[in-house]
Amino acid sequence: MQVDNQAVSYLESRKLVKRWSGPWPAVVNTLLIFGFFYATWWIFQDPRGIMRMYTPYVGYMVCRWLLILFIWLAYIFDFWPFKRTWLNSAHPLLKGVVLTAVSVAAMLLLIKGFFIEILGNFGIAYFNPDRLMAMGLTDFYSIEYAAEAVMMFAAIASWLSPSWVVACENAPWQKLTQPTRGITIVIVTFFLSMIVYLLTMHSHMAILFYPWQQYTAITPPYWEGFANTVSGNFHIAWIMCCTVVVWVYESIWQRYPFNLIQTDWLRRTSSFFGIILVALCMCFFLYYAQDLVWGEAIRGTRREMAPDWRWLHVGETAIFWLVGVLYLSFYGGNWPTKFSRPVNVLLRTLISLAIGAAVYIIYYKTAHLFLGTQKGFSHPQQFPMIPTIWLINIFLINMWFMDGWPGWKAVPKTAEELQETRNEVVASDVRWTPSLGKGLLAGAAAGAAVYFAVITVLPWIGETVTIVK
Amino acid sequence: MTEQKTPNRRDFVKGAATGAIGGTLLGMGAYSYSPLAYSRMSKVARQQADFGACRSVKVTSISETSWFNNAHLVGDIHAAGGLLVDQYSINWAPFGNGKGVAQGSYKDGIDSIKKMIPGDLEEAWATQQKLALHPDNAGGYSCLIEVEDLDGTKHKYLLDAGWSYDWMDQSFKREAIDQMLASGEIEALILSHEHFDHFWGFPVVMKYNNKIPTYAHDGFYEEGMQYIKDSGYEGDLKVIDKELTPIRPGMMAIKFNVPIITRVYGEVSLAFNIKDKGLVLISGCNHQGILQMTSTAYQKLKYDNDRFYGVYGGLHISPFEDWDPKYDDLVISLGKWDFERVGCNHCTGHLTAKKFIEAGYPVVKGTARFRTSSPDYLGNGDTITF
Repeated sequence: MQVDNQAVSYLESRKLVKRWSGPWPAVVNTLLIFGFFYATWWIFQDPRGIMRMYTPYVGYMVCRWLLILFIWLAYIFDFWPFKRTWLNSAHPLLKGVVLTAVSVAAMLLLIKGFFIEILGNFGIAYFNPDRLMAMGLTDFYSIEYAAEAVMMFAAIASWLSPSWVVACENAPWQKLTQPTRGITIVIVTFFLSMIVYLLTMHSHMAILFYPWQQYTAITPPYWEGFANTVSGNFHIAWIMCCTVVVWVYESIWQRYPFNLIQTDWLRRTSSFFGIILVALCMCFFLYYAQDLVWGEAIRGTRREMAPDWRWLHVGETAIFWLVGVLYLSFYGGNWPTKFSRPVNVLLRTLISLAIGAAVYIIYYKTAHLFLGTQKGFSHPQQFPMIPTIWLINIFLINMWFMDGWPGWKAVPKTAEELQETRNEVVASDVRWTPSLGKGLLAGAAAGAAVYFAVITVLPWIGETVTIVK
Repeated sequence: MTEQKTPNRRDFVKGAATGAIGGTLLGMGAYSYSPLAYSRMSKVARQQADFGACRSVKVTSISETSWFNNAHLVGDIHAAGGLLVDQYSINWAPFGNGKGVAQGSYKDGIDSIKKMIPGDLEEAWATQQKLALHPDNAGGYSCLIEVEDLDGTKHKYLLDAGWSYDWMDQSFKREAIDQMLASGEIEALILSHEHFDHFWGFPVVMKYNNKIPTYAHDGFYEEGMQYIKDSGYEGDLKVIDKELTPIRPGMMAIKFNVPIITRVYGEVSLAFNIKDKGLVLISGCNHQGILQMTSTAYQKLKYDNDRFYGVYGGLHISPFEDWDPKYDDLVISLGKWDFERVGCNHCTGHLTAKKFIEAGYPVVKGTARFRTSSPDYLGNGDTITF
């Protein structure tokens, strides 16, 4: 009988094989996922629907924390307390229902129990809507402010929690058994998230209130001069880019290139900080790209001309790419796979960017027709991250909890396949040679040329292309 | 020889693929947000449309109190599902149907009062008081704009129609708007946007003049356009579909295509060139943002002294006395535009007015009459002349 606490996690131990040949698994799953997305969107989020959580911050908080809980359950706890035998034998539909229900229950417990009741009653008042109401705020904004704070915490955790698994390889607790390992990593990443929250978001929350809460937070915040705004959206930008890059690194990049580092501590440290560096590059580019397309931001304006919105839109744009990345990885079989890893990585990056760009354009052209939202880029209460993360959550339920049912099924990996998985963590398929060095230089020059070509073309795109009429 | 070349070529390709990503990222990170990157951005040339000038503009605040109890209004929005819920479904008067929050519809509401508007507004509102949520909370936004030409002749315009039939009729009578409408003295009605508190009082205007030329943004939803018809309108409806629409010499309508809370799209604001003084901006709610309007005017319009003289109206910053750090960006930045007079009210919010005053901006204070709750800004019955 198989037991828990095995050396290989459940997600690593299984191989998903297509139930039908050709594109049918992807087609069927895509249709089902979009159907499920729309049904659940209508029930939970849609402003015309049943529960109408898209207030917006309540719905925003819920979809983000669901994402975290899915990551915790699948990646950090390796599905503990569920036994591997049950995971291997239960019907995917049953698993999907049970694991999602457990995640939702844990999310509610965390939001209500920890953030509102403990943190909001014994630490920081703005986490508890009742306290804000008692101080004279309307019930609506009391709930919105508290939800915003809880949501921002989730944004940070959505980067740090998976990063500890993907980049740091669970070190130094990788040999602990479950649930000790899971609890330890959750506590550590939660603690780190709390520190990052205090350094990045607390000042944002503190200036929501009049007068600025200068005795409990740094106001005006230290990033004001650099980011050209006092809004914490500046941090949302780079933190969301970190979240996206973690999954890019884990999925379509197959942990390349940091997995070439053979020394454990150096590989893990390089991965962790490398993800941040890549994210910062992406963040600054996406902000600059908006300035090139729409004109330089003007502080104090609203909507798409305002720096705070542009920083937010950096994160939103990054999440559109994540949709493309995960779709390619989950339903496109991480195509292509036949070339060397660096070439595969480059091609997948380009393909996923194309998918992300297509999703971005389709979203802004059509979302107002079916999501209960309005057309336009910068409605102050509309956050495209809500539907995109909602969709990503459904991807995760389907692929992590349901083994890709109905298009795919899970089978145990062979010993060779498990070794291949291990080779992704520490790889040796690319070795230093003079030719590699020449290629690196030539590629870097070409990459820089592509970058400058793109920023040269962007103003022209801004003048000639209209996505939202 | 061939065997040696193949690995070399493979290694080169591997390196090139890796380098391509690295080089792109390097450019993105090192250059994108640098001063050098911004130094190469070209300045957009100002177009500065010449729309003439006027001698003065006087604004009378007929009503700036769109609602009287913030908790009730926000509570209704909350109960209906938040800020994205369609305003016609919330079950506010005059589109209440007695089915409770978020169960309203344009059709149900208009069916209950269609025969009464615009002739018997008292009966229509009384009917709705039995069906709608918090009907006594409704007020409205409307102001009278008097433009004095360079030769001294005066022209009157009504900006917005308010909300509550009862409240707006009282307010119109208080400022003699009813007589001005009936006599044709008011040359046009300009609907800034489709929001309940600016537009749903439309039948009150129709009661006194249902042929008045009316301007409306082309982003009005089907219900809004139907409401204009159902209110008995028989005049010349001018749908604004261009960014700049001259109204008369020195008076320009500027159209902004912006999605707005409670499913409304677009706003029209007004710009006036005051001879020898500069530009005055007047808005209903300014959902596009006052500095967005300012920067648009700076780019697109020609005005005296090339300076901003004054602003009047709702600036939509903290309408529900809510806050966001981006509003502080506005408070911090407004000073750069050097307005000589700031006549804000309505959805600007009292908190914003307080912060403007603390920042030393020339906010024109009011008299806090006719249910305006604070003298922090221009209230009901107050006037300002630019």
